[in-house]
Amino acid sequence: MNIATNPMPGKKANKLSATRIAGKLVNDYWEMVWRAKEEGKLICWYEGSAINPFLEAADICWVHGEAYSAMLAARHQEVKAQQVAEERGYMRELCSYARTHLGCAVSNQRLRGDDTGAVPDDDDLTWKLPAPDMIISAYAYCSTGQQWDEMTSRVFGKKVPIFNVSLPWIWGSKPDAGYLKGQEWEETSDYVTRQLNDMVKFIEEQTGKPYPWDRLYEMMADIKRASELRLEAMELCTAQPAPASFFDWVVSIAPINNLPVAGVKNYFETVLDEVKARVAAGEGCVPDEKYRLFFDGIMNWNKVGWLANKFANYDAAVIAGRYTHMAFWQEPGLINPNDPVRGMAQNYLICPNNHASPILIKLIMDLCRKFEVDGMVIHASRTCRAFTNPQFMIAETAQRELGIPSSMFEGDVTDESFYKDEVLNSRVEAMLEAIESRRMSVVA
Amino acid sequence: MKRHVMGIDFGSTTAKCVILDMKGNIVADSVAHMGAVSGEGVKAAIRDTLDKAGLEQADMGRTVSTGYGRRMLDEADKNYTEITCHARGAVAMVPGARLVIDIGGQDSKVISVDSNGLVAQFAMNDRCAAGTGKFLEVLARAVEIDLESLGDTALEAKEKLKISSMCATFAETEVISLLAEGYAKTDVLGAVHAAIAARTLGLVGRVGKNGPVVMTGGVAKNPAAVKYIQDALGMPLHLPHKPQIAGALGAALLGLDDYRKQTAYVISEEEDMAHEDQMAQDKACIPGCRGTPELVVDPAEAKPAPRKGGLKSILSTLQDNL
Repeated sequence: MNIATNPMPGKKANKLSATRIAGKLVNDYWEMVWRAKEEGKLICWYEGSAINPFLEAADICWVHGEAYSAMLAARHQEVKAQQVAEERGYMRELCSYARTHLGCAVSNQRLRGDDTGAVPDDDDLTWKLPAPDMIISAYAYCSTGQQWDEMTSRVFGKKVPIFNVSLPWIWGSKPDAGYLKGQEWEETSDYVTRQLNDMVKFIEEQTGKPYPWDRLYEMMADIKRASELRLEAMELCTAQPAPASFFDWVVSIAPINNLPVAGVKNYFETVLDEVKARVAAGEGCVPDEKYRLFFDGIMNWNKVGWLANKFANYDAAVIAGRYTHMAFWQEPGLINPNDPVRGMAQNYLICPNNHASPILIKLIMDLCRKFEVDGMVIHASRTCRAFTNPQFMIAETAQRELGIPSSMFEGDVTDESFYKDEVLNSRVEAMLEAIESRRMSVVA
Repeated sequence: MKRHVMGIDFGSTTAKCVILDMKGNIVADSVAHMGAVSGEGVKAAIRDTLDKAGLEQADMGRTVSTGYGRRMLDEADKNYTEITCHARGAVAMVPGARLVIDIGGQDSKVISVDSNGLVAQFAMNDRCAAGTGKFLEVLARAVEIDLESLGDTALEAKEKLKISSMCATFAETEVISLLAEGYAKTDVLGAVHAAIAARTLGLVGRVGKNGPVVMTGGVAKNPAAVKYIQDALGMPLHLPHKPQIAGALGAALLGLDDYRKQTAYVISEEEDMAHEDQMAQDKACIPGCRGTPELVVDPAEAKPAPRKGGLKSILSTLQDNL
């Protein structure tokens, strides 16, 4: 008898071709960021909410912390930054987005700011971020977010001006509370709107120029349209087989969330065209769609393509997710391009984790029903407990209300060391077997 | 047609094998300790089971594997996860079970089963081996006691101590520390089993408490683990006679289902010979024919004679006399 590992069969995800454009847009954007200092631009670092249109309109170069960490992880260049951060004293259980980004901040100071004589390697992306001229802290739901900004400020010697936007948690506990409605919702929207207007004054102080509101209006008109196109394309994935996967939408986060606005409308027009063509041709995002799954959890950025292929290999189309379908300008109807600030505030507030659990869970169950999923894959991110907190309740509700099984695996957003492949395999296979046995019992 | 199927559970610390006949009865089973990847243990378990049954691998209509090494067995026609197999095996051992607690070598799992015996939901330990058989092995070594007597010793605990660690390695440190402080071995081992029960209860909470509850896996043979889990759960645990073979039994039953489907229209050699004998006796040329044409009674001849004194009888007499 030979004991040998059986090779897995080689089905691959049928990724949207349009997502290749996203890759180019991402590369172009970071190239622009790396040379921004030399071009005399002001640099703003921020994390969390997509305040970038406010900055882009004012011709400020924007650096989104999670986006940089995710980009490094997607290129498998995250480990060095994480080691640098750990040397500095940031422990492994700290949000790995923050840890990676702080490692980049420390590297920047060592190789750009401290003038220690070290020669930077141009291929090493950890030191290349330009140091911030300002920091804007605007993070919904995540307590680490503000501490991350404060730590960044310390790395740069506490000399960088900071503006804080407080995005309150939506408690949803009053009798009239609900998704996008109720007194709490209106009051909170007003509160954040006032702060965003103050943030604009802060930007004016930094640039020394009046804020170009017209440019913001134009950009928000484009973002609103891009969001509508994105949602239309997502909606078409109710088709069976589903023409695009959760992983296609993951790759499409950067264009809607943090890349220059100029290309975003065209990108989602291309995506929508391709999705429509696939629906017409009956072409799916996996070669043989047998199961339809919902993905709850934030993305493992060093595993995007790998996970897409893994699920394709299981004949499982992962169609929708909390991360992709409940965030990133997902309510374009709230945005009035001629007066966009309140709508922007509201979109920041509906970051999916910023709701009380009943609202959050109802939205997830609605998506599961809409996309007719057979099961739920839950990624419990080791260093993002804000995303992980309600996951047992989500799984329990999916079982109780929809009768669908779930499987949970532990991983992380950018720290690969928390990921265990066999754990994921066993749990996903067990869930698919449970789905299969139910189908067979119905037939019998 | 073959008359047996095999299930193999290629686990992390032990290999289990079960052979069933076509009615689903256990013909033979075996449990063998093994190294992680050598495959020696699983070879031994398979050989031992075949020897006990007086059969060869070629006699198996289906062989199904499960466990962490399930993909590594050339003998297996199919493989399924431990979740599916343990649920199937446990429900076969305790019909009507709605919750399965399985604590094996390196993982512990809780599976809720619906009224049809199908997996509804499951939860497994994620981060480390705390609360598993490996955890007990490590701690048995720490307190210098053999694994088999660990449970009985723990049942003698009088004082309630607490092992709080989430990690098997650090729990060992805690145990050594408590012993160094002079606490009794019995009390320390009681705390170890209470920690296992607490972790199990956490998994039960994730899938929902429901009964009857069956406990399988090697740790089900440990009386202290059973007692502490029962107390924590507030429900009795049903213990199969051989709790370690639940996964292998489930795998074999899945193989049996599969083989029965494939052979539903195939008859056995014995059945085939019986048909031949019957055909010879009936002088039939196809199975099922009950006789040759010349032996068939003409339907007209088989008509009953007219009732004496009746109209048909009188007419018949007149016709005969004309």
